[in-house]
Amino acid sequence: MYNSKIRGPLIEGNKSLGQITREVVAPLETKSGRWWTVALGLSSLATIYGIYAVYITVYKGIGTWGVNNSVGWGWEIINFVWWIGIGHAGTAFSIFLLILRQRWRTSINRSAEAMTVFAVLCAAIMPALHMGRIWLAFYIFPYPNTRGPLWVNFNSPLFWDFTAITAYLLISVSFWYLGMLPDLATIRDKTISKIRKALYGFFSMGWTGSSRQWIRFESLSFILGGIAAVLVVSVHSIVSTDFAVGVEPGWHTTIFPPFFVVGAIFSGFAMVMTLMVLIRKIYRLTDYITDNHMDAIARILIFISLIMGTAYLTEIFVAWYSGNKYEMFTFFHNRITGDYKIQFWGMIACNALIPQLFWFRKMRRNWIALLSVSLLINLGMWLERYTIIVTSLSKDFLPSNWVSYTPTFIDVGVFVGTIGLFATGVLLFMRYIPMMAISELKGVVHIGSKKED
Amino acid sequence: MKKHREIPEEFHGLTNGNDRSSAKVQKDQLLELFEDDFLKLSSSRRNFLKVFGFSFASAAIVAACKRPVHMAIPYVIQPPEITPGKPLYYATTFYDGHEYSAILVKTRDGRPIKIEGNSLSPFNREGTTARVQASVLSLYDDARPKSPSVNQQAVSWESIDEQILNDITGINSVGGEIVLLTSTINSPSTLKLINEFGGRFKNFRWVQYDSVSYSAVIEANSACFGRAVIPDYNFEKAELVVSVGADFLGTWIAPVHFIPKYTARRKLNNGEKSMLRHIHFESGMSITGSNADVRRKIKPSEEIILLADLYNRIAQKTGAETFHGTSFREDLSELADNLIASKGRSVVLSGTNNIDIQIITNGINYLLGNYGDCIDLNNYLNISAGIDKKMEGLVNDMDAGRIKALLMYNVNPAYDYPQPDKFLSGLKKTVLTINMAGHLNETSGKAKFECPVHHFLESWNDAEITPGRLSLSQPCINPLFNTRSFQDSLLRWSGNPISWHDYLMANWEKEFFPKSALPDFRRFWDRCLSNGVFSYDQQDNKPATFKKEELSRVMNNLKIIPAEEYEVIFYESIALGTGMHSNNPWLMELPDPVSKHCWDNVAAISPKDAEELGILSGHLIKLGADLILPAFIQPGQAEGTVSVALGYGHKNSGPVADNIGLNVYPLVRLNGGNRYYGFTAGRLENTLKKSQLALTQVHHSMEGRPIVRETTLGEYLNDSHSGNEIHEEYESGHRTLYPEVNFDGFHWGLAIDLNSCVGCNSCVIACQAENNIPVVGKEEVKRRRIMHWIKIDRYYSDNPADPKVYFQPLTCQHCDNAPCENVCPVSATNHSSEGLNQMTYNRCIGTKYCINNCPYRVRRFNWYRYTNNKAFDFNTVSDLGKMVLNPDVTVRERGVVEKCSFCVQRIQEKKLQAKLENRPLLDNEIKTACMQACPSEAIIFGNLNDKNSRVSKLFGSPRLYHLLEELHTLPSVGYLTRIWNGEKKNS
Amino acid sequence: MNRIFKIGIFDEEEKFISSIKSLQEKDFNIQDVFTPYPVHEVFHLLKRKSRLPAAAYFMGLAAILATLAFLYYTAVIDWPVVYGGKPVNSFPSFIIITIVLTILTITIGSLAVFSVRSKLLPGRDNTIFDHRATDDKFVIVVNTGKLDIPAADKAENIMKELGAIEIIDKEFENVNA
Repeated sequence: MYNSKIRGPLIEGNKSLGQITREVVAPLETKSGRWWTVALGLSSLATIYGIYAVYITVYKGIGTWGVNNSVGWGWEIINFVWWIGIGHAGTAFSIFLLILRQRWRTSINRSAEAMTVFAVLCAAIMPALHMGRIWLAFYIFPYPNTRGPLWVNFNSPLFWDFTAITAYLLISVSFWYLGMLPDLATIRDKTISKIRKALYGFFSMGWTGSSRQWIRFESLSFILGGIAAVLVVSVHSIVSTDFAVGVEPGWHTTIFPPFFVVGAIFSGFAMVMTLMVLIRKIYRLTDYITDNHMDAIARILIFISLIMGTAYLTEIFVAWYSGNKYEMFTFFHNRITGDYKIQFWGMIACNALIPQLFWFRKMRRNWIALLSVSLLINLGMWLERYTIIVTSLSKDFLPSNWVSYTPTFIDVGVFVGTIGLFATGVLLFMRYIPMMAISELKGVVHIGSKKED
Repeated sequence: MKKHREIPEEFHGLTNGNDRSSAKVQKDQLLELFEDDFLKLSSSRRNFLKVFGFSFASAAIVAACKRPVHMAIPYVIQPPEITPGKPLYYATTFYDGHEYSAILVKTRDGRPIKIEGNSLSPFNREGTTARVQASVLSLYDDARPKSPSVNQQAVSWESIDEQILNDITGINSVGGEIVLLTSTINSPSTLKLINEFGGRFKNFRWVQYDSVSYSAVIEANSACFGRAVIPDYNFEKAELVVSVGADFLGTWIAPVHFIPKYTARRKLNNGEKSMLRHIHFESGMSITGSNADVRRKIKPSEEIILLADLYNRIAQKTGAETFHGTSFREDLSELADNLIASKGRSVVLSGTNNIDIQIITNGINYLLGNYGDCIDLNNYLNISAGIDKKMEGLVNDMDAGRIKALLMYNVNPAYDYPQPDKFLSGLKKTVLTINMAGHLNETSGKAKFECPVHHFLESWNDAEITPGRLSLSQPCINPLFNTRSFQDSLLRWSGNPISWHDYLMANWEKEFFPKSALPDFRRFWDRCLSNGVFSYDQQDNKPATFKKEELSRVMNNLKIIPAEEYEVIFYESIALGTGMHSNNPWLMELPDPVSKHCWDNVAAISPKDAEELGILSGHLIKLGADLILPAFIQPGQAEGTVSVALGYGHKNSGPVADNIGLNVYPLVRLNGGNRYYGFTAGRLENTLKKSQLALTQVHHSMEGRPIVRETTLGEYLNDSHSGNEIHEEYESGHRTLYPEVNFDGFHWGLAIDLNSCVGCNSCVIACQAENNIPVVGKEEVKRRRIMHWIKIDRYYSDNPADPKVYFQPLTCQHCDNAPCENVCPVSATNHSSEGLNQMTYNRCIGTKYCINNCPYRVRRFNWYRYTNNKAFDFNTVSDLGKMVLNPDVTVRERGVVEKCSFCVQRIQEKKLQAKLENRPLLDNEIKTACMQACPSEAIIFGNLNDKNSRVSKLFGSPRLYHLLEELHTLPSVGYLTRIWNGEKKNS
Repeated sequence: MNRIFKIGIFDEEEKFISSIKSLQEKDFNIQDVFTPYPVHEVFHLLKRKSRLPAAAYFMGLAAILATLAFLYYTAVIDWPVVYGGKPVNSFPSFIIITIVLTILTITIGSLAVFSVRSKLLPGRDNTIFDHRATDDKFVIVVNTGKLDIPAADKAENIMKELGAIEIIDKEFENVNA
């Protein structure tokens, strides 16, 4: 159970319920600042670059990318895994902390879940684009057809992937939306603008806050929480099987599922950190997203980064201990040393070493430190995926097939595009959806809440 | 495949009175369906498409991945020998003036689509070279001259004949000299015709000219033995071959003839206890050198010293007359001993076009008594007859304006004569100039009259490759363009009304029919046509009498070529040869077996020199005066030498060939009347500019992995498992979680004998032709996206200065536990009940997961749309180019993964045939394209369930292993260990 | 006929709770109460129960069986295909897919049940007795339709005493909540 004596008040400045409503809804009611317009402009530019890259890819073919006969997967799959990883933040936050009754999550989970939704969207684009014949993507559905019917190959990790990602997207969206209902209703009832009333009224689905609704609301959110918790673990485990099931040296290892899940949560929390630091700076929501919140996330990051470090060491040790010459080569001559050492050591530095700064309280309380470290972690996680995918493929079993890999302008475009899309999504979210679960906040500020805790 | 023998009746149509080729028969019957203007040959190509419904065929194939098939034009009158959907094989002959093969041509709906060796021919059996395999594509080359022309103005044959006859009679009346300049002619009937033609003129000269000349060999033999011939080398009878720069497995004289003989003596599959030993001296790294048991690097200037020294030592030991001569830097006594030890059972070769060197070589062979069995002067090879001096004389006369008329056939001096400018100025001084060429080249347009000739697949011809060994050429398709055979032109111009076909038949009736046992000529002719070959015994076994004088003259005043700091040598590349077929995209994209680069010619330099001069591969370096080429660091290249491939740098040979690489023919030296293919660069200069090479393999070491397993003959005889010990280990170590799938009925397998594979690349092109594999172009090759389904991996052992070279054909291994199959989400690739790893193009959505998960990386992805895409305008864009496509194989769409299918279309065809004939399938009946093209029978395909099949026997061999067998992928492809006949080499 | 309600507005959870209690003692018919956040005591007092978990459980069970059956039928019975030498009934692969699809079914299913049972659909407008309920007020709605005036006033007094900041009388033609 949560005890405020340890961590200090969840929400500072002893606010009244009405005040909370006003302050949280403020960004929606007031005019958005210039910075917002500028940011939206930039992110849309990035998105347009991305759309161009996608157009070229679909129109001309995958040939416009850097991939080749030996390296069949390149940046796009790296990005796919990376985005999915980031996507785990929201679910991890809301679900795990919900189940653990960590109520300090309340002021963060909404934005975290929003992040999840946009990140998973970005992720979903990648494998789709990566298909040589995207217009036949529907072949992957096991639907009754006139070809036999020819069903799909249930042994293929890609099929597991496909189901997992689809499910994940649907579930995180519904979970997110469900949590929003009471707040949409709040806005509906407070706003003066007719349009807003109509819109939020429509989307609040007639929420009144009656006890009947509340009890079902609570039990549903626990059900969803419970099963989505399984999903958080399963989705990235499944993503990891894309590699673990393969024969490639550096892929074919049993450590991958837990390793990937932890990595995912790592990058997710880092991304949450980035966003929170910005949001509380921009919207001066320091009373809601308190230093304690940041502190808590930072502590979690240290913990995970230690796990990551251990995982890296384990991988290397197993490669050596197995005595498998191909594994040995991949790790010792193509990662630790060799063509891809920069990416490898970059990964180690960003993921295992730099986060250790958070052992110092100063660092945990300094927003610049928080921001830069969290960004570095995300870079590191990207490099990790690069290391895994490209190094294994570029130099595997038969030296005659060894090649090097360099991305093209289009590869970059697709990546930048998704970043733009993500940013756009987040910006719109800040503008049109309450950034924090108002009802939950009220639940935790109110003295009454103390009793039932 | 033996179809061409079984039903000679099928060819009766060829001979019923008139001069109709089988193709003509079809056409005449069919043209009745069409309005008259189709009969105008002016636009014959398009009619042709319509008549045979090619466009629909190709459209259908091309679209088979997606779009609906267009309506076909049905035959109204069914041509007797055409069954739609069934291939028809014509026996014919490939001879382009440099290379000879007796071949079978597979035609579908009247269009040649594939070339196979003619198993009835003792010369090349079923083997072919890459160039022969690719020649079918040259037929559909849009750059071919399409009609006769005068000063680039298209005219009719009648008018051009009229003008030419006027001019020629005019010239003849004043006794002006008329010269016929041709490539080597080995057609007896054509020779007869040329003599008749020449006989009509007061002052006639016939000069044969080869772009790459064997003049020295011929002259040396005439000097030593009074026989101006190229002897046949019987490697199968030899124990020891010492070759000094003769690339006899790659390009020298007749590789397709030598490879089977050579490998026959190096096979160890039937309990042989000995094998041919091969010692090789060379500067550049050729495939022949790569296959040698011992390879020594020498500079070209050292060859004469080496051979002279070798001669002296052998003479000394055998008590023959020795001459004082400088001795070679290495001690050759051991080599001499070895040679003496296998007296009369050895062959010494030199590949240099230098008469002195060739005479010394002859001397050595004579001392060793190799003439007779191993070197056969009686059954000589009619491959090349050009004498350099004659050509040089002709060019001088032309330059001096002494030549009044020049008739050129199948030659391209403007490109490959050492002094093109001199030749061209001479051409200007010549009154009547006629160019008869089958394809566009630099000489085209230089002559006043262009009389384009047929492609060999469109024309009648015959050839006598060795005395008494004849073969016929017959048209496999009606002429695509308004062309006329060279012989018909000569007949017209000598006022002879008879057609070349009749002339040919008449000549055979007169000359060769009497030599056959058959009662009447009709049957003889049909038999010859359907067999393609005819041979009779030549009772001419004169012993070779050696004239010592010549040798002593040479030895006593040895012309030592002064050694330079850098000596550049020109060689024929495996792909392009002399450069005659450079406009063939298949050949242009065929990587050199050793350097693994294509789409360019580079300057190969030794690692040591490169290090000294700070040159990296891709640096543009300056050789001598003005030759700037990208450098390529070639392990095994002799220090102080640079090798550059001939055949590149065309200016007017068609879109593919033009402006690729540099033409080095103009740098060929004319020393002592013989063309020397090379020059002394003096020094190299690094311009430090970089250019990326189009390489298909960039890593060259096996990294100590057991990929090519090797041993030496000695060890092998002690323990047949030697070099392959780990195979047993892996076999015993195999554990499986699931029961292994067992295949009742067929289980297809492929065995590759690494000891027989010489890396000639023939299989690569055969596969490309059979399976409609697209050409992707230089840029895509640079991005490592070449599409070849079978590639020949080349590894070097770890010593770059003097590496051992290993060739390993790599194709889909058709693993029974295929990692690629598990990961395809849409089950586009799965396992057949016959053990094939099959690929369903229509189902593939291109996730590329299978590519990643194939440890052999033999899967290929269609990165772009390669068909009907202007960006890849090679042979799958124009209607003409598409005619080469094999209708039995789908043309893949963009975004689809493809790979070797074990030629499943051939498997099905033969299975059906057997079923129809209600008999069990015979072993060796099904031949994959690669197996069929392989001149050395290194690739054997068959049913692993049949314990008596050749492949099963090989799979039982202690030498057999599977690639990456430790992964337990259970491949259906097996490799047999490489066995060196010599001291243990580092691997 | 129109329905008449007494609506008590509170701004403190305690007062609101206690007034619910005393209203129940005087067994007034409490139509429903509206709060800005879930107040668990209310659930106890008004005996609110949710059977969603049970529904979810059975949906999950059904999903598991259906998925496994489908996979087995398609991969083993309908068209068995050999992939990489694996048996057609590769059960381990099936488990993964089953887990995911089960989770998906439960989510969708219980969402549907939820929105139907608590009358929540896009664009639906349920009766809002007092719009401050979603902001910072606690609202008790007493159905006084069948009561005579004094009785109704009694309810009003109770709430007043217990600290309602405001009491409103409202008539609705028909109520959907």
